[in-house]
Amino acid sequence: MSAARDEILQALRNNRPTPENHPLPPVKTLGDLDASRERFIASLKILGGDVLEPVKGETLDQAIMRRHPDAKVICSNVPEAKGTLPVEKVKTPQDAATIDVTVVRAPFGIAEMGSIFLSESQLPINSFAHLGQHIVVVLSPDSITANMHTAYQERPEFRSANYGVLMSGPSATADIQGVLIRGAQGVRSLSVWFA
Amino acid sequence: MSNKPVNHARAAEHFLEDAPHLQFHDERLWDMRQKRDGQMHMLPEWQELREEASRIKEHTLSRLPEYLEQFEENAKKNGIHVHWARDGAEHNRIVGDILKAHNARNLIKSKSMVTEECDMRPYLAKQGVTVTETDLGERIQQLDDQLPSHIVVPAVHKLTSDVARIFAKDYHTDPNIRDPHLLAEAQRQAARPVILHADAGMTGGNFVVAETGTFVVCTNEGNADLSATVPNLHIATIGIERLVPRMADLGVFIRLLSRSALGSPITQYTTHFRGPQKGGEMHVVLVDNGRSARLGMEDFWTSLKCIRCGACMNTCPVYRRSGGLSYGAVYSGPIGAIIDPTFNERKYSTLPYASTLNGSCTNVCPVKINIHEQLYKWRRVLVQHHEMPFVKREIMHMAGKLMGQPRMYRAAIRMTEVSLGSMPRFVLYNWLNPWGKHRENPHPVKQTFNDWYRKNREKTKPAAAPETKK
Repeated sequence: MSAARDEILQALRNNRPTPENHPLPPVKTLGDLDASRERFIASLKILGGDVLEPVKGETLDQAIMRRHPDAKVICSNVPEAKGTLPVEKVKTPQDAATIDVTVVRAPFGIAEMGSIFLSESQLPINSFAHLGQHIVVVLSPDSITANMHTAYQERPEFRSANYGVLMSGPSATADIQGVLIRGAQGVRSLSVWFA
Repeated sequence: MSNKPVNHARAAEHFLEDAPHLQFHDERLWDMRQKRDGQMHMLPEWQELREEASRIKEHTLSRLPEYLEQFEENAKKNGIHVHWARDGAEHNRIVGDILKAHNARNLIKSKSMVTEECDMRPYLAKQGVTVTETDLGERIQQLDDQLPSHIVVPAVHKLTSDVARIFAKDYHTDPNIRDPHLLAEAQRQAARPVILHADAGMTGGNFVVAETGTFVVCTNEGNADLSATVPNLHIATIGIERLVPRMADLGVFIRLLSRSALGSPITQYTTHFRGPQKGGEMHVVLVDNGRSARLGMEDFWTSLKCIRCGACMNTCPVYRRSGGLSYGAVYSGPIGAIIDPTFNERKYSTLPYASTLNGSCTNVCPVKINIHEQLYKWRRVLVQHHEMPFVKREIMHMAGKLMGQPRMYRAAIRMTEVSLGSMPRFVLYNWLNPWGKHRENPHPVKQTFNDWYRKNREKTKPAAAPETKK
């Protein structure tokens, strides 16, 4: 083992406060435990995300074209949408840069934050969730968990995924004179399709 | 690097001269504070969350060696390379060596205060590595060759016109742009090709989970995710105090972090890294850089609980009216003023005085660090270590003597009252009287309390008169 490692650990052992005075508090579940779709949607909208509602019998492909009429390259990783670019064509992280709309399924959402979770299990390649201009996320209303406490305690993905991202609305910044801008470096919009 | 004490007061004076910047800065930060309050009022469990967060952090710090070892073991199992760095120089060497081994010349990185601590960019530049900041605010600061002035919003002291001027130089955009949307778009367009062709990506880490070997990165722009998923080499630089024991603990901290920072419920991106991506390589550099020594400082070790939300900065009247750069340090504001002296006691000896000790910082801190008490305690330490400016030291010395002798004190007070009422301004307002800078001396009173007391009460209750006891 490295000298640095041993030295740091030894210094910490010498300097730390008495461990017995600082017991580990038990895990708590606090706050609102409403896991409804309505709460999820309200939270999602606060963070700038939106719901893609089907208009009379529309398919997901049709709804995407309605929402993003200028989109040329639509790449879907879910059976519910066909898209225009077969997902097998996305092989390297850079390949995702030409996509206008990516379509993925999230294994769960969090009602408190309107967050959706994505990991390498839902993505052909991790950059797929970020390099496209817009993202459409398919989410089952039955897989919404109430809040951050229930999410971290109950969802196994946090313990199994190498890469797991909670996206809460689109990319955003307020770094220039405090003006909120949606669509900073990552996706410009995030829409949720319930199915 | 110069060891001269930072002249915070003079830098603040300079900041105060520019009315438009000052007004925006003050209002923007206060707006963040108010949004934070709005979020707090929505959660009846807010105080309980703060208490939990504080207890979890104190527990973790008391068992940091064990949790670090647990993290290392789990991270290695998942294929992460774990490195340890005692200081900034060692950190930079480790990062430089990893990049060299991969022949990586272009590094994209998301915001990390630890790399600022280590002064990494100049080191890597000398090694021939081009470092590009991908966070918009941090990129603005990089192009302007300034430290971040705030730990969450690095360019908060700048107006749109400043950003337009900086981007015009480097991105060849119109210097007269006054629409922030256009400037943000210019950054997006400029950053994309750099991201796509980068050889390596770098992030910091907001939280580290011992039980799973995970580290968590919170951003709003998604730039950390781009930095970590587009290049196949990911290096994360993380301070050793960032640990939490359990995955479930993140529930407490994620609920507090962005609410305290910006008043938004959560950052747009909360990313959990537990291992390299397919075909990729992942390195974590655990950085001490003074933290293990700070853990041994009885009055100051709890500053290691800090989760870098910036709430104490947003609420601080001194910070809002002096700007982060006036602190002359990587960390500014109240939290900076209590941790900077641990890096260099002499250089940052003035910072604990950049406070009114109003306690607002302590009240908003999501992990309940007693910031204002530590500011006060630092003043005592600095006086004991003689890290005090000459004029202040002499004034305190004289005041101490004077106050120890009631007769002399009363005579002096009477004289002061007379002088305040009769002396010309140039005698009262000069460099020997720092109190008179930017403010008026108090109005002289016709009668001191002591005179009043002698006249009205002493005759009726002679035994209660303080001087008769002597």
